[in-house]
Amino acid sequence: MKWRVIDYTENNAHMNMAIDEAVSEYVAKGGPPTIRFYGWKPSAVSIGYFQSLEREVDIKKCDSENVDFVRRRTGGGAVYHDNKGEITYSVIAKEEIFPKDIIASYKVICSWIINALKSLEIESEFKPINDIIAGGKKISGNAQTRRKGVLLQHGTILYSLDLEKMFSLLKVSDEKIRDKMIVSSKERVTCVTNFGNIERDRLYRAMLAEFSKGKEVFFDSLSKEEIDMAIELEKKYKSKEWNCLK
Amino acid sequence: MRIEEKIKGGKLVSIEVSDGRVVRITGDFFAHPEELIGLIENELSKIDPKIGEENIANALEKIVKRENGEMIGISPTDLARIFLKAIE
Repeated sequence: MKWRVIDYTENNAHMNMAIDEAVSEYVAKGGPPTIRFYGWKPSAVSIGYFQSLEREVDIKKCDSENVDFVRRRTGGGAVYHDNKGEITYSVIAKEEIFPKDIIASYKVICSWIINALKSLEIESEFKPINDIIAGGKKISGNAQTRRKGVLLQHGTILYSLDLEKMFSLLKVSDEKIRDKMIVSSKERVTCVTNFGNIERDRLYRAMLAEFSKGKEVFFDSLSKEEIDMAIELEKKYKSKEWNCLK
Repeated sequence: MRIEEKIKGGKLVSIEVSDGRVVRITGDFFAHPEELIGLIENELSKIDPKIGEENIANALEKIVKRENGEMIGISPTDLARIFLKAIE
């Protein structure tokens, strides 16, 4: 089985989610299992499928800071995707390639991240349901869905952290709680740069190597069919109907 | 009324029951197919709360099985318990 690898690209939040869905449709129709790496330009907040946009995101602040916001197809929590502060991946393949058990399948894909961090001398471990922790703190969050026989897992590896900005965009009821949450998050969240002077590109190379390890891979871009579908789907991910679904 | 609960070893879930029994379930949990939660909201909007937590949980479990669905971080029992608190 040959895996397609799509090299790192940066897109706006709506297009990123549209591409993940377009690739999922392509894989459902027989397209190759795909590993994709991407970033968010501009920086963005994504919320889980079941979250309430108005309760989670300060939309006015996002607009004034030129930060996108989008609802994901996957569950999980709200995430601030800083343009330079993380690397996002998606793994899209037929369900049967992975364990049927959801947690076990998270563990398989998360092991690729754990190995990438290990190659950078960062020890980490899988923490069910969907996190990876290093030094007892979260360094990677992941989310998965399955539809039409296709598994989509996407997730982020935190490279650097700007908690003040993160909590200015995510809704917190008052300033006192906001301060407490920043302090509490500093105790709960970490990033690659906390473990040494590691360049972001080195993290990417490590991820590329470990996600490809043991697989027959070929580098390719999106097909015309996927690009056309993504352009259509981008409208959905930009729409109020989708983003205000809950 | 809206009740929010962090499930032990699981995820955050909020159930809001408004006039005319409109039920809205939100949170950072996982469920697939994603439509499963809409079906559960619909069931809770018309279920008789007097049948009790266990029977409500069973009704929700039936929907999960029928839809070949899966919920991660929450369970039908959690949803039944929180729903009854929200409807009080």
